[in-house]
Amino acid sequence: MINPPIFPTLNAAVTPKNSEQTNPFREGLSSRPMPQPCTVVIFGATGDLTKRKLIPALYNLAADGDLPSALTVVGFARRDKSDEVFRTELGDDTKKFSRSTVQDELWQSFASRIFYHRSEFGDPEGYKSLAKRLDEIDAQYGTRGNRLFYLSVAPSEFEGILKNLKDFKLNESPSGGWTRVIVEKPFGYDLATATELNSVVAATFAEKDTFRIDHFLGKETAQNIMVLRFANGIFEPLWNHKYIDHVQITASEPLGVEGRGPYYDHSGALRDMVQNHLLQLLCLTAMEPPTDLSADSVRDEKVKVVRSIRPLKGADVATNVVRGQYAAGAINGKNVIAYREEDRVNPQSDTETFVALKVNVDNWRWADIPFYVRVGKRLPKGGTEIAVQFRAAPPVLFNKSANEVGANVLVIRIQPDEGISLRMQAKIPGTALRIEPVKMDFHYGTSFGKASPEAYERLLLDAMSGDATLFARRDEVEQAWKFIDEIEHAWHESDTPPSLYPYPSGSWGPKEADDLIERDGRAWRRL
Amino acid sequence: MPQSITDLTQGMPVEIGKIDRELKRLWQEGEGAATRASLINFAVFCESSDKMHEMTDVIAEITKDHACRAILIGMDPTIEHAPVQACITAHCHLSKAGQKQVCCEQITFLLGKDGLPMIPNIVFSHLDSDLPLVLWWRGEFPAESEEQLWTWVDRLIYDSQMWTHVPGQVELLRTAIEPASPRITLCDLNWTRSLYIRQAVAQIFDHPEYLGELPALSSVEITHAPGMRSTAMLLAGWLAAQLQWHPHTSIGVNVYFHDRTGKLVTVTLKEQPGAPIGGIRLLAGKASMTVAHHEGSGFLHADIVLPDGRESHYLMPGGKEDIVSLLNDELMSGGKHKVYLRALAAVVPVL
Repeated sequence: MINPPIFPTLNAAVTPKNSEQTNPFREGLSSRPMPQPCTVVIFGATGDLTKRKLIPALYNLAADGDLPSALTVVGFARRDKSDEVFRTELGDDTKKFSRSTVQDELWQSFASRIFYHRSEFGDPEGYKSLAKRLDEIDAQYGTRGNRLFYLSVAPSEFEGILKNLKDFKLNESPSGGWTRVIVEKPFGYDLATATELNSVVAATFAEKDTFRIDHFLGKETAQNIMVLRFANGIFEPLWNHKYIDHVQITASEPLGVEGRGPYYDHSGALRDMVQNHLLQLLCLTAMEPPTDLSADSVRDEKVKVVRSIRPLKGADVATNVVRGQYAAGAINGKNVIAYREEDRVNPQSDTETFVALKVNVDNWRWADIPFYVRVGKRLPKGGTEIAVQFRAAPPVLFNKSANEVGANVLVIRIQPDEGISLRMQAKIPGTALRIEPVKMDFHYGTSFGKASPEAYERLLLDAMSGDATLFARRDEVEQAWKFIDEIEHAWHESDTPPSLYPYPSGSWGPKEADDLIERDGRAWRRL
Repeated sequence: MPQSITDLTQGMPVEIGKIDRELKRLWQEGEGAATRASLINFAVFCESSDKMHEMTDVIAEITKDHACRAILIGMDPTIEHAPVQACITAHCHLSKAGQKQVCCEQITFLLGKDGLPMIPNIVFSHLDSDLPLVLWWRGEFPAESEEQLWTWVDRLIYDSQMWTHVPGQVELLRTAIEPASPRITLCDLNWTRSLYIRQAVAQIFDHPEYLGELPALSSVEITHAPGMRSTAMLLAGWLAAQLQWHPHTSIGVNVYFHDRTGKLVTVTLKEQPGAPIGGIRLLAGKASMTVAHHEGSGFLHADIVLPDGRESHYLMPGGKEDIVSLLNDELMSGGKHKVYLRALAAVVPVL
């Protein structure tokens, strides 16, 4: 084989295929497509998400040079305030919530392109004036009619906002440009409302222009699941029912409902966490390799997983799902109140704050391999992780029973302390043959000095670039709701609903959750 | 008087044959309190022993962002017929993720006058196995070097700004690394020096309207600090390579290229105290695009004037020019730097 010369000649310069359209200076400088100039319009701009996440994320992107130079932000909300007041408030918030230090010079430049638009969400006049204002911004700032609408509002507001956007043709893409919408979770309350919500969105925006955000997917480690599985030759051959015993997915937090009582009491842990975040993690763990890394190829494979999840109906729910609610207890040495005593929570509430499920994915790869999923509030430690437990080695050599030879466990830590660890067996030094588990541990924070971008930074940039890989697709969302609905139905609408088990705050959930896994001869991982 | 290694660094002197044992002891003493981390082997060849203290400080800074095993090799021509001296040291810092103390190790070697041929063996025998080898070669490349060394290097970092005769060094480099060419990536800090300016220029032309002005580009002005002409030339080479200009001639401060249509394009290099590349101005008919450092500002200021008189002003990341920042930028980047090689090829004929 002849190696190409390391020093090319001048003539080796590559002519871009479409030299009229391609920026020749981008080559070698960025491995991701740069978004086009645009305006981000945030509905619900005075809310928490805008000040804590969205504006700090956009500021950090600007500081890293990842934003298009011509980018403007328009905040749309009901409260009366001027551009100047809005900018000042956001400046203070960004100083508080940004991962990087806010530099005044850059903030002033960035803030000069932030505007505030006051209107009721259902008032057509507000949209008429918005359309006019966006046109003026396009003319003055060169944003070329590209728009990203961010719906950071309650789902009940979606229909009014979207209808008005359509009525004033704000959903229409300019020639050669684009108009997109980002929808924040919850994507519905059940299958019926999700379908309705999706239809409302679809009446205004095509699916390719709809970005349903699940911030879990923007986390570095969640993105790393595919890299770990498909960029390493050693894992994929073992990633199936022949070598894996079971998978555990855990999302635990010591916090209670923290002021979200009314919302949480209406939704519960199953809707709040399992339907979206945990099923997304399950899909990334269980999916087949996509044909390529395009958004639809990846999402096609994820949808196949959700479709393969064995439905839980009637008595199956009582057998495979445990729901719990935290009672009074202690967290970090402090006494904490029971869920039913929380502010604005129904004192007779039967909303679950803990769920443990045994899920089966009925396809060839995962035949008879259970996925144990648990999520809960007021648990001893905070953390989200996926643990893949491999089958134990045959115990014939070391004079031990199968239970004594510990299994290999690969743990992908999503948060905090993102990283990957592998537990394996090793001989303890000495003349006797003593085998104990040891852990190989990789920590992002230790190995890489550079801080990871916040999930919202990555997701906003992807939406501006039109890359929907890390966003949920309509069929994915609806399939997930179909699975969840059956469980909710058994809990709330059957004649003999399974019990809601209380657990003391600061414990690892009700004893019945332990029973769920122990009857299969397994145990929950200690986090 | 010949120097001892303890005069040059603050490490613990060790016998060369016992380095691994001493490193192990170092980590055992700190066990539980610190985590050793290493993702690369970072070897630094220091052309002068006087710089070794400074290089140790640079390595200490680098380890904050790039966990590595550092191997610092210095030469002292006043040392004759003396054995190689070695010492070890650890650089520790709190991880950004939390309160964990993360440490990296540095092994330092001081070679005598005739030590150059020993470098490959010193590097090979002290690598953290299976990790990539990044070699930062300070100064000029020697006329004769060990071929096997280059075949082990994944990324070779150097600074062409320090070269007295660029074409000669390029030729030397070409010959030396030819056998290693499929593996090695050439990383010129003089190229990294213009990274933020190049990014800012690229960002301007991400805008379709500004991109439309590019075919009319007829002249370019690059402002550079005294002694940084080679940096400016590489930047001109980048424009030439990406726009497929061909070098014509160089007269005084002007370098002339032919664009794809055969039109003459003038690149003027202006010397002015300040940042290595103070700024760049592209003139395309009545449109102009300027990216420049402003005094007192940490950002690059981009000013665009369109033929119809519309003006835009943006701030873009300016980066830093100190050696630690340059190395950090370089170590963060991946890929083979094909664009750099094309930029170099575009200007070597007019140097």
